Amino acid sequence: MNYFIELVVSGLAVGAIYGLVAMSFAVIFKATGIVNFAQGEIGMLTAYTTWSLATTLGTGAVFTVLLSIIVGAVIGLLCERLIMRPMLGEPVLSVVLVTVGLAVVLRSMVTMIWDASPHKFEVARADEILQIGGIGMRVSQVGVIAVLLLALAAFWFFLRRSRFGVAMRAVAADEKTARLMGVSTARVQAVAWASASALAGLAGAFFAVIYGLAPTVFELGLKAFPATVLGGFDSILGSGGSGVFIGVLENLVGGYLSSTLKEISGFMLILVVLMVRPFGLFGEKRIERV
Amino acid sequence: MRSGFFKQRYADLIVLTDSLTVKAWIGVLLIALAGAPLVFGSYMLSHLTVILFTLVGVLGLTVLTGFTGLISLGHVGFLMLGAYSYAVGVTRLGLPPELALVMAAVVPALCGLVVGIPSLRLHGLYLAITTLAFSYIVSAVILAGGKFTGAGRGISITRPVMLGIDLSSDRAYYWFCLAMCALAVLITLNVRRSYFGRALVAIRDNDIAARTMGISLVRFKLLAFLLSAALTGVAGAMMGMYLGIVSVESFPFLLSIEALAIVIVGGLGSVLGAVFGTIFILSLPDLVSGAMSMLSGRVQDLMTTSAHEIRSMLYGLAIIAFLRFDPRGLRGIWHDVRHAWVHWPQRY
Repeated sequence: MNYFIELVVSGLAVGAIYGLVAMSFAVIFKATGIVNFAQGEIGMLTAYTTWSLATTLGTGAVFTVLLSIIVGAVIGLLCERLIMRPMLGEPVLSVVLVTVGLAVVLRSMVTMIWDASPHKFEVARADEILQIGGIGMRVSQVGVIAVLLLALAAFWFFLRRSRFGVAMRAVAADEKTARLMGVSTARVQAVAWASASALAGLAGAFFAVIYGLAPTVFELGLKAFPATVLGGFDSILGSGGSGVFIGVLENLVGGYLSSTLKEISGFMLILVVLMVRPFGLFGEKRIERV
Repeated sequence: MRSGFFKQRYADLIVLTDSLTVKAWIGVLLIALAGAPLVFGSYMLSHLTVILFTLVGVLGLTVLTGFTGLISLGHVGFLMLGAYSYAVGVTRLGLPPELALVMAAVVPALCGLVVGIPSLRLHGLYLAITTLAFSYIVSAVILAGGKFTGAGRGISITRPVMLGIDLSSDRAYYWFCLAMCALAVLITLNVRRSYFGRALVAIRDNDIAARTMGISLVRFKLLAFLLSAALTGVAGAMMGMYLGIVSVESFPFLLSIEALAIVIVGGLGSVLGAVFGTIFILSLPDLVSGAMSMLSGRVQDLMTTSAHEIRSMLYGLAIIAFLRFDPRGLRGIWHDVRHAWVHWPQRY
């Protein structure tokens, strides 16, 4: 039983990271209707930049988290302005393939600027063990779960209550009508990219703190994919929640069955999900009569 | 008396080419390609061989993404399956190489059917994810396969004797690749002009309209997957024979991206574009390092230490640049150049 609880708890922490990345996929999909295949790479680039800045500035834990948000948002804005904005109005296929290209470029950029060997992302007090109800958890693990909950609450508030969130939902529902109503698609896209990259950046930084910094951090994007599919591509909150589910599932499969299955359990799950409910658990069902 | 060229039969309209000049030039090209090994050194020969077997795989992706408009991010999965079917067939099951090569087409094709089934319900992006998942599952299964698939160590194979011809020399292997590649080009061109290919293009352009014209989406999407996977599988087997070893590491995810880059850079949905794209993308690293060697030594050091990164960065930049500035790809540029040549000094 103890083993089980330990697996679930560490699964919750990984799942929270997946959840953050899955949310960022969903934010961009909801606002612009494309899947950003470079999300994991943006998270990795943010993690590396934050690491460089944090070690030179010698920042504390809270400030490092804030730093990762800012760095992520800036990277997102740059990518949007330089690469995605000119593609506005192009066919979906081209735009998605551009993000694939962006992913490859960012990935090789990271290895060229920094190096391919793993590093330790040192943050003060991140590795201390907290005892919660008899289970030991690292501060960073508790932190990432708290951040996910905060992000979920913030996005719920943003989409329901703020003017811009409503504009974003309007663009997602019907781009043409939204533009006729005076919503600027370009600005919505910029905000979506900035906030999604901030989420991915947070995830990347936390992943680096907990598991170490290496050029394989981008695989986070691939790992979080199943979560987004499970939650539904247009459901930001659903994706965040599903991330936790996938994380726990992965850990349980790894703990009880085999480590090879652990790597692909998420993908196996989504193959089934895609066949039964392509729009995910919480996504909006699109009725097609043809 | 006849006063012009008339297309009197339906076959005349869809014939590959009716121009004697084009036929003559293709003949010249084929002779030049067949004679290439007698002229070029071993480096150039192996470069040409790589281009030839890559082209076979790219044609597979062209059928799926170019003709049918289904994005696949998991083509490396089919490539891997093809290579492993061949290697397992030859070394574990003791099949003759000809039969193993057929198996390298059949096994991926069957798996293509399985991956294709979700495509009936899924549109563009979801399908891309499914194929991505597929390629990861394939490599995980191979790694878990123990002795039968050689797990992490892979299977080493030797170049076979095919139809009584020994392929162990580089020249013989080049000719074999040339023949296979010519066959693949012919198949794809004929698919494109026939009912099957036009149905696929109709599905790509507007699936609802295609369906109202009586094209069964189920049947043609699955057939597209089947053909695409079979071609890619054969390319995988050829790649395995070329490398001499089949292992999971020799099929990185980057190959899927490379194939997509080739298809986009060449021009989506065209066989000529696939040829141009393959030559361009595969020669790009050599061209760039050649250009860089004229620069200072520091840049040269960077080229040698991080060759892999520079390669993948070039692919990424090529994808972005072509999609951004000329989505028609190299084929479009070729078209413009040809017209400028014919109509000079007029603009058009």
